[in-house]
Amino acid sequence: MTPIKDEQKALREILRQAYLEKENVEVGDRWQEEAMRRIRELGAIEAAPSSLVMFEQLVWRLAPLTCVLILGLAVLLSSLDFISGYDIIQLLMDGTEELTLNQFFGL
Amino acid sequence: MNIDSHSSTDAEVVYQVVSGNVNAFERLLKRYEVHVMRIVKKHIPFDKVEEVAQDVFVRTYQSLPNFKRDESFKQWLSTITIRTCYDFWRKHYRYREVPVSSLSEKHQVWLEEATAARSSQSFDERDSQEEAREILDWALDRLSPEDRMVLELVYLEGYSVKEAANLLGWSTAKVKVRSFRSRKKLHKLIKEMSLTQRD
Repeated sequence: MTPIKDEQKALREILRQAYLEKENVEVGDRWQEEAMRRIRELGAIEAAPSSLVMFEQLVWRLAPLTCVLILGLAVLLSSLDFISGYDIIQLLMDGTEELTLNQFFGL
Repeated sequence: MNIDSHSSTDAEVVYQVVSGNVNAFERLLKRYEVHVMRIVKKHIPFDKVEEVAQDVFVRTYQSLPNFKRDESFKQWLSTITIRTCYDFWRKHYRYREVPVSSLSEKHQVWLEEATAARSSQSFDERDSQEEAREILDWALDRLSPEDRMVLELVYLEGYSVKEAANLLGWSTAKVKVRSFRSRKKLHKLIKEMSLTQRD
């Protein structure tokens, strides 16, 4: 081994010893009580919500937007003078003597 | 089943705490206080050890809903402890105002003698560890929080790159690069210190 490598290895060992020695320093015995006091102050914790609950929360969050969208579409459809297939059939069934297919379709 | 018994597993105690029994957490604290303290003492300055150990347990308590029953509580707690120590240094560096103290000539002399003696296998371990600790703290104070944590875990404690990456929540590539750079910086710092003292 080269002298530099040797020296670096020796340095590492010295620093390692000093570092591991830190473990033996004595500390007080009141910190645990203080930690528990802080934890009690926080109160009970809630479990992480399940994916079903998270989905439900998302649905409720999107509900107002969905309502606004439906209302907007309803207004748009009514302004377009839209006649549904159901309305056409109703017309044909209710007044067949007055309204023929020819009249209805303008043929 | 009496889940209040001392033989209850960590997962059972966690379940009790998450169900609203805050006092059950004390059992986890008693079980792992030595383990957490051992980690914290090595990474944090002595006067802040108790404060950081408290932070570790508070953070653990708040994170309990995320604990998975099939993982080791001790391993999970170690991860939280290491990350709390890392956060301590990040905060410390952000608010650091006064540059750290420099070393005296006696440190340099001691270091030269110690490395020479150690490499010739004649270094007496009973010789003062105080100088070594002061030199180590001096050098670590000059590294960034990232370099400091990686150096402590890999270079000084001997963790593998993968283990250190798991503890810090980083990629192995990042730990590998940091480890190499921090080791070089440490050697450079100590070399510069020796040269300064010589001049």
